[in-house]
Amino acid sequence: MLALVLVSLILMFADSRFGYLQQVRFYASYTVTPIHWLSEIPQSVSNQLADVFRSRNELLEENERLQEELLMQQYQLQKIDHLSAENQRLSELLNASAIVDDIVVRAQLVSESPDPFRKQVLINKGTAHGVYEGQPVLDADGLFGQVTSVEPYYSWVQLITDSQHATPVQVNRNGVRAVVSGTQGSQHEMIMNNMTDTADIEVGDVLVTSGLGQRFPAGYRVGVITSIVRDPGQPFARVTVVPTAKLDSSRNLLLVF
Amino acid sequence: MVSAVLRNTQSLWVILATFVVAALLLVLPLPGWLDYYRPEWMALVLIYWVMALPHRVGLISAWVLGFFVDVLEDSLLGLNGLVLALVAYMALSLYRRLRMFTMLQQSSTVFILVGLHQLVSFWVLTVSNQNTSPNLMFLVSAFSSALVWPLVFYLLRYLRRSFNVV
Repeated sequence: MLALVLVSLILMFADSRFGYLQQVRFYASYTVTPIHWLSEIPQSVSNQLADVFRSRNELLEENERLQEELLMQQYQLQKIDHLSAENQRLSELLNASAIVDDIVVRAQLVSESPDPFRKQVLINKGTAHGVYEGQPVLDADGLFGQVTSVEPYYSWVQLITDSQHATPVQVNRNGVRAVVSGTQGSQHEMIMNNMTDTADIEVGDVLVTSGLGQRFPAGYRVGVITSIVRDPGQPFARVTVVPTAKLDSSRNLLLVF
Repeated sequence: MVSAVLRNTQSLWVILATFVVAALLLVLPLPGWLDYYRPEWMALVLIYWVMALPHRVGLISAWVLGFFVDVLEDSLLGLNGLVLALVAYMALSLYRRLRMFTMLQQSSTVFILVGLHQLVSFWVLTVSNQNTSPNLMFLVSAFSSALVWPLVFYLLRYLRRSFNVV
């Protein structure tokens, strides 16, 4: 027993302080891949059943709605094309580095972490699909999280609201830089760290990734400021942010390469 | 002689299969609020096998099992090994009494064992600065584990008897 405790302690220490065990974990995860695969089955079966039992009217309605949406978005895209070209020219004038388009790959959410206190989800893409540790993950509405551990065919994504996660952001309106970190417990709330009482932020400000920290590409939506409490007794204002990504309901995610 | 070897390997497969099912239950997606009540299936199955076949399932197997749970759940490597070995150790020292106990007594013992399992992993996570639990909700699963214990017990006993696992 004592020997086992000792081995566990050494292993845990090595795992948390140094990265020696990445390889071990990676190869051992081949054995648990079938279990992940099996745990996916009930979901995919229910999804397929839902697809089978849908009325024609429902499909027609959805089709119409989607076409309308597509039209609107294509209209907006026309303008964006023009704007991004103009932006490119302007930044060339300023000798700034070019803004590159990111390549995205779709991934599906498989399951959430069995530990209810960790905000972590499993997605169905792994090193076999080119996923790497630290890769940013988006959903249709904003930044979702980042890949924290990769397996051959699956990988774990830590949500931006995890209390261990911090995201470098800037206010879209005026470019004020800050760091937004997750909170314990709440799924829908983040805290903006170290914002002075005089910082130029307002309720309703949209925060986007700043690209600092070299993890997340710049310009993806992160959240919206919902409340600012300026307490004279505290050194910093308490700023709460609600993520724009649908962290608890998105199934289709995008991996940024 | 040959039949003994065959029976041996069959027993191994049955035990392994129950652990695989437990692992599956461990990661099966549940609606968010139910996550807190998810019983520690691995610990339950382990307690049963230690109690029924202490010569076959012991500390080392518990630790190896925990290692794979860690890989499965992407938790700190060695954490589940430590706590499952702890559970196995306590179950090993209690197995004679556990066999004599009534179902209610067994369930209460399971509550304590799984509660310790949760508590130790809570400590380790706190020490390694990875603890994200804001309250004592982590102990709820010890309660639900005790609740499902009779089910696990009768099911595994039925399996053990029908497959003649020794």
